[in-house]
Amino acid sequence: MDRHHPLNASFHGSMRSRDSSSTVGSDAREKIKDCFRKFIAFMFTQVGVGALVVCYAILGAAGFMHIEKDSPDVQLHEVRQLRQNCAEALWNITITDNLFNETAWVIKVDEVLKVFQNNITAAIHTGYNGRSAEDIWSFPAALMYSLSVFTMIGYGNIVPKTVWGKIVTIAYACFGIPIYVLYFCNMGKVLAQSFKWLYITAHECSRRDDTLFEDGEMQPVKRKITVPSTACLWVISFYIVTGTIMFGAWEKWNYLDSTYFCVISLCKIGFGDFVPGANIADSAGGSHLKLVINFIYVLLGMGLVAMCYNLMCEDVRVKVRELREDLKNCLDDITLKITVCMNDTKYYHQKNSRNVK
Amino acid sequence: MMPRRKRRLASRIRDYVRGLLAFLFSNVGVIVLVVAYTIAGAFMFQAIEGGSEWKVDKQMSRERTNLTQYLWQNVTLDLNLFNETAVKERIGRELRNYQTKIVMAVHKGWDGGRSSRQWSFSSAFLYSLTVITTIGYGHLSPKTDWGKVVTILYALLGMPLFLLYLTNVGELLARWFKCIYALVCLCRGCPGFTRRRAARLRLQYELSEAESIERPQAWRSRYPESDVTPEYVLPPGRYPPPRGYPRRPDYMRSISMPQPYDPRGPRVDPRRGCSLPARPAESPPSSDFSYVTFDAQTITVPISVCVTIMVGYIMFGSMIFGMWEKWDQLDGAYFCFISLSSIGFGDFVPGERVYTARIEPSFIICSLYLMLGMALVAMCFNLMQEQVMHYYAGLKRAVKRLGRCKR
Repeated sequence: MDRHHPLNASFHGSMRSRDSSSTVGSDAREKIKDCFRKFIAFMFTQVGVGALVVCYAILGAAGFMHIEKDSPDVQLHEVRQLRQNCAEALWNITITDNLFNETAWVIKVDEVLKVFQNNITAAIHTGYNGRSAEDIWSFPAALMYSLSVFTMIGYGNIVPKTVWGKIVTIAYACFGIPIYVLYFCNMGKVLAQSFKWLYITAHECSRRDDTLFEDGEMQPVKRKITVPSTACLWVISFYIVTGTIMFGAWEKWNYLDSTYFCVISLCKIGFGDFVPGANIADSAGGSHLKLVINFIYVLLGMGLVAMCYNLMCEDVRVKVRELREDLKNCLDDITLKITVCMNDTKYYHQKNSRNVK
Repeated sequence: MMPRRKRRLASRIRDYVRGLLAFLFSNVGVIVLVVAYTIAGAFMFQAIEGGSEWKVDKQMSRERTNLTQYLWQNVTLDLNLFNETAVKERIGRELRNYQTKIVMAVHKGWDGGRSSRQWSFSSAFLYSLTVITTIGYGHLSPKTDWGKVVTILYALLGMPLFLLYLTNVGELLARWFKCIYALVCLCRGCPGFTRRRAARLRLQYELSEAESIERPQAWRSRYPESDVTPEYVLPPGRYPPPRGYPRRPDYMRSISMPQPYDPRGPRVDPRRGCSLPARPAESPPSSDFSYVTFDAQTITVPISVCVTIMVGYIMFGSMIFGMWEKWDQLDGAYFCFISLSSIGFGDFVPGERVYTARIEPSFIICSLYLMLGMALVAMCFNLMQEQVMHYYAGLKRAVKRLGRCKR
């Protein structure tokens, strides 16, 4: 470490001095150009892209809220109508029937209830979930919705009902998915670099102690170090366990359920059978906070997944190359041996035959 | 002749193994693998989840009986029967509670007592497909603990597999599409065909040449009709045989196949797997074979064409599903888009609203549509990426030139 520092510093210093000399020597236009370039570079770095993603999500949330909140609650009315009809039917049964024949009454009521139940189930399958549009499309929920659109998770616990909502969703996805992919790649690269740096520093520290212990002088390790896949898996599983405990405590899910939720979310499958803050019995205020935290969790998790993907790709590539070289060497050896062996036996046979002759 | 047979056997086995591996990782193999994996998943999930359906069903019917009893005991018997509004209000309240229960049950996966079973084979197939493609409609989701665990493992194993399928098939489709595009839109003959014709011409040419000049004496005496590949013809013992005789793509092999090895100095290409070029001395004048060098893979397909294809595929899907499921055009297009972009809300799922026996084929059509569509999207992304890179390179060159001009 001590040896590395001055070298690094001098390197940086030389870079900086060269930089400054070039900027000093040039005119104002060059400076402006430089500034502009730096600004663009910043816009496309992780900060810019992260801010872009968050802004895009917020924009989308506001837009969807605006579009969907005004939608008339046709379904709510329908369900209310269904309930009233059912009550009416029950009343009629009570009025017309003999009141003291319990079994007949029960059979008829059961019939009516079955119809009611089927109607409700059909309504749920077409999207009714017991809440009005204003309840559903709160701001955090809309934020979650736009996140689930452009990250391609698609929980499906909230879906657009209006025609305009559907069209805007398609357009939003068309522009959002490239932005998200940009975020994914950028975040993955940056996180992978920093994680690699961390890993290498730790690795060198531990290695250095060993070498110091052994022969007193450290050999600079020129070999390129790749982060092993196991380290990535550890990081991801740690993140999932954190999420498991967090959501388990909040939502009163058991650990299997919340692990399932975390994995399904981070894999972008998003069934939507478990969604934080989607509980009907939940109060509104608590669910909003949960939704926002879920938003952050998912967005960060995606970055982590991208990082692991990057690192593991590199690792696998290196491993495959090594394996291929090994295999090639092995094959070369085998063929050499086979040919030598066969030639020997052939010569032996020829010699034998000559001798016999 | 014993050793030669042995070597032949060894090389044949090696060839078989190599061929098997190549097949496994080739396009056909990957498709078969994905389909087999999905079918295996379908059987597995059916076995795991199928048993738990009946429990929920029974529980809901018990719930209904409870409600009836409650209505009988508390409402009808207790209240004054001639006070209609009060009774209706009470009944309405009870029904509301009951409705909430139904909503909860349906969200937990109850089906509303539909006659067909939820985890039929085709729906389980669609389920496992939505897991590995990361669509995740969520119209079906595992309810048992084991189902959840198996889903997690299945996804972790299946997603890389599907990614492999996507890249592989996407590349293949992109290659084909380029060929078709070159043939149709650019009015240049399909390069495969011309290449083959050129190869045939060259083959004849070289054969006649080689017959007269190039064949070494020793060969001609020993193997007058030399159909045997040079590998086995080489006089053994002087040098190791050119093992790993470069496996070339077919067209390359057909172009430069009958080249006898020079026994004094075998020209083994240092880069293995790369074919020896035809000898410059005897290669025909380039004007004859100039169109061999035209390669369809060098052209780029404009982005607008890719976008048109995707939009066309979505429109096609919306038409099919509109006919099949009685959705209107917008809903069908919305469904196709949400599916192909792997978002998968699950508010529209084929076979969900239809209470007939047509559920099974609609699931299968949906699966086919999804698998083909995903590959098509991957293809379009391939082509678009190439085009964007092309533009970017052009832009860079232009900017560089501009900068040079200024200074």
